[in-house]
Amino acid sequence: MNCRKVQSLLPLMAGSEIPKSKILSLKAHFENCPKCQQEYDSYMLTLKKTKEWLAKDRIDWEERDWQQVLKRAIKDKKPEVSPLVYWPFKKVWAYSLLGMLVVALTLLFIIGPSITQKEMGLGSEKFTEEQAQLFRSSPEESEQEVVSMTIVSKETGLKIVWFLNKNFELEVKE
Amino acid sequence: MEMKSEDELVEEVLNGNHRSFELLLQPYRQGLLNMANRMTGNLEEAKEVCQEVLIKVYKHLDKFKKGRSFKSWIYRITVNSAYDSLRKKKKYENFVESQKKIGFSASYDPEKQLLNREIRAKIETCLRDLSPKEKATFLLRDGEGFSIEEASEILKCSSMSVRTHLSRARKKIREQFEKINFANTREVRR
Repeated sequence: MNCRKVQSLLPLMAGSEIPKSKILSLKAHFENCPKCQQEYDSYMLTLKKTKEWLAKDRIDWEERDWQQVLKRAIKDKKPEVSPLVYWPFKKVWAYSLLGMLVVALTLLFIIGPSITQKEMGLGSEKFTEEQAQLFRSSPEESEQEVVSMTIVSKETGLKIVWFLNKNFELEVKE
Repeated sequence: MEMKSEDELVEEVLNGNHRSFELLLQPYRQGLLNMANRMTGNLEEAKEVCQEVLIKVYKHLDKFKKGRSFKSWIYRITVNSAYDSLRKKKKYENFVESQKKIGFSASYDPEKQLLNREIRAKIETCLRDLSPKEKATFLLRDGEGFSIEEASEILKCSSMSVRTHLSRARKKIREQFEKINFANTREVRR
């Protein structure tokens, strides 16, 4: 191992973040290279001192401030609870499942009625003139253009007859 | 008193028990403040960051996956909030600079509350040249004692990336440390 490679590993070696096998080969290098050894010692000292400083300079909350911060955080009565809080799997699966369900329902609404019609032989393409004839009780009925509606008053016995065209618009008969 | 697990406390908070929220955060209150303080370099700003963290934790507690480390989760929120604060601060400082350039009088003199001025100044000098990511990695590993794997979980990056940032951070800190040492030696000689 050359000095350049050793020096690139020194910062991590100081914190024991490299494998033991590498540490051993680095220590073997130090025996023949006082410069790298010196660098390593310097890293060790830096790390030791900075850790000490960080530990000495630890600050804490004043109880009043901490309580205030907590109070502000729980201003809302209850934290938001997602409806998926008890979903045991990944949340993205729940959303995918929901999406698929929506697609399936949509397809059911679109395709479903046409399937039912087909099963009954009422499909638009199969609804021939012959079948249409079966639904008509008489040939005259097919030509029916006018519908009449009779209203009779119970009290007076007055009878009113309305004539409506096929669009249910009132037709005035002279 | 019976010690409740963090998962149990989370469950209780989700059921509306405010006291459990305090119990849940009690072990981390000092760590969070220190982390935020070192990241932002300002105690008042650090308190604001912590406030934001607590609001986020309370609001999104249902998103915390049971069985995972609550400590890592809360530190991740803290680091991200500190990043946001730094970004806002940078924008503000740029704004102040631009105001100065065009002749407006804008003063930005944050009050510094130092417990141990000398040590604090040394730490600030050491952390000065570190990028936010390097700073966060160094503070998590060497300040808060997280393992490389835990730090990678908090920072949402690979352990290789954590090692790289940590190595760079220690290199930079060492350079600053040598300068401090050199200055101290000169002072002693005088």
